[in-house]
Amino acid sequence: MTTVTTATATARKTVAMKTVALEFTGTGWSTTFQDLGRRDTERRGVPTGGAADQHSAVVANLLVGNPRGATLIENLGGELALVPDADVLLAVTGAPARVTVGGAPVESWSPLVVPKGHEVRVHADVGRGTRTYLAVNGTLTAETLLGSAAPDARMGFTQHVTRGSRVLLDTEFQGFRRRLFEPPLFRLPVPVPRFDEGPWVVDVVASHGIHAIPGIREVIEEAEYVVTPRSNHVGLRLEGPVLHPDTDVEIVSHGVPVGALQIPHADELIVLGRYRSLTAGYPIVGVASRACLPLLGQAGPGRRLRFRWTDRESSLRRFARREAEVCALEHAVAEAFAALGFETSLPDSS
Amino acid sequence: MTTAPFGTVAVEPFGDSAVMVTVPHAEQAVRRSAIVAFRDRFLAHRPHGVLDVVSGLESLLIEFDPLRTAPEHVEYAVRLLARWAPGDGPELPRTVREFAVPVVFDEETGPDLESVAEEVGLHPAEVVEAIAKSTFTVALLGAAMAPMMDGLELPAPVRRRAEPRTDVAPGAIMIAGDNAIIQPFPGPTGWRVVGRTPHTIVDISRPDPVSFGPGDVMRFVPVTRDEAAALDAGFLLPVEVSL
Repeated sequence: MTTVTTATATARKTVAMKTVALEFTGTGWSTTFQDLGRRDTERRGVPTGGAADQHSAVVANLLVGNPRGATLIENLGGELALVPDADVLLAVTGAPARVTVGGAPVESWSPLVVPKGHEVRVHADVGRGTRTYLAVNGTLTAETLLGSAAPDARMGFTQHVTRGSRVLLDTEFQGFRRRLFEPPLFRLPVPVPRFDEGPWVVDVVASHGIHAIPGIREVIEEAEYVVTPRSNHVGLRLEGPVLHPDTDVEIVSHGVPVGALQIPHADELIVLGRYRSLTAGYPIVGVASRACLPLLGQAGPGRRLRFRWTDRESSLRRFARREAEVCALEHAVAEAFAALGFETSLPDSS
Repeated sequence: MTTAPFGTVAVEPFGDSAVMVTVPHAEQAVRRSAIVAFRDRFLAHRPHGVLDVVSGLESLLIEFDPLRTAPEHVEYAVRLLARWAPGDGPELPRTVREFAVPVVFDEETGPDLESVAEEVGLHPAEVVEAIAKSTFTVALLGAAMAPMMDGLELPAPVRRRAEPRTDVAPGAIMIAGDNAIIQPFPGPTGWRVVGRTPHTIVDISRPDPVSFGPGDVMRFVPVTRDEAAALDAGFLLPVEVSL
């Protein structure tokens, strides 16, 4: 270990930073740089964007000692594979996936030490969820747009990681001096979401548009909807019964929260995602609960969804519980890593 | 512009972590100018926990972190700010940038010119003339930072296309209602395409990808195809800055 103590006013301990190359030997249908999205850009016409499943992205970063909003890799479908040219600490979260290091199965939702030259493979079960997240301790070198590495296809900012590319990582990770196949490093309280086979239940808070369509509350509550292949980063397009307003009141362009349930003219229901823009003309009958947005970010074609109306207070209580779990993990990781003489970014540093 | 009254605002919860603010008023022009003035004031006095705002034509969506604030607190701040009489609070002096945007108006760059002319009862050349005479004010930045502008002066509001175009070139000048917008990237639109500027409107390689903001003024200057080519037009910059 090359630990140097500097005599600065803050007496900060500095650890040698090194640059590691990650060689991508395989990529999925879409593999991109990602983070939690842009801040304060929506009023300038650029959607927040960012990881569709924000919970998985946050947990992946925390498990490797990164700030919540650090740049990481988002993978959609197929098989993601990479080889580091030095030991790295990484974690894979998101949809249920088969993860191997050097061919041996390892756990997802857990910190992993990947030795130099060993290949990590992530093969997700797309039927259970669409996206996996891979975070590596340190800072990935990626371009940014308005302060974020999140792609914005509409602005031509694709952020694709291609097969054969070498992505550079600045890391202070020096290894835990242990071998790969020893038992898991830590017992951490990791909030792993459930990815059930059956229909996923999404809580929705009603919004004013619901009054424009008599009976829509009951229709949505009783029906089951199926995600269609016409879905994209702007929104999930669902097949299922809908009703339309009988009046022809003009709705002018306005902003909508992520998770808004919109009923276009056609016979479908749209749940708007993190890349939605202004909307006009179509009524918004409700907005998915904040706590359910990560799950919606994992829904792919064929996924069955049911909606359950909820009130704002219950919706936020559920979100607060999940946030408390994430904070507990944040602190447990900081303690566990500190005990190993390994610094993490302190909570709230993001 | 900031003299519109907005003593009364409507605040409505939208989902579990946003509220929508509107200024109820019988006149559309008042609703629109009042919400712009309110947005400026709100951003200059942003309450704790507010993450971002999204401007609509007649509304302001305020997104907040529900663990750091509550809709009641945001609503309280909104009503306090709205109650100030115009000029009462420390309004920020605003710099208005002016743009003269060269535009080629012909059949190829403006495939909807003729149908728009027919719709409003003019000759296509008269539509171009009316557009060139109009003074546009940027109301908000739309999708992908596209400048959405008020101020189109034609005999009648222009309808949107029934069937949206799927692939409109960057730089396309588009109109609908009494609004105009410039297409920054290739993509679909339901607006009527009437011309094209050779300038780059949004450049993502720049730290700030656009040079304009709400309140700025644009005029469209008709040029021929050859004149446009000779301009060697790059990133769109303002012609002058006045206070």
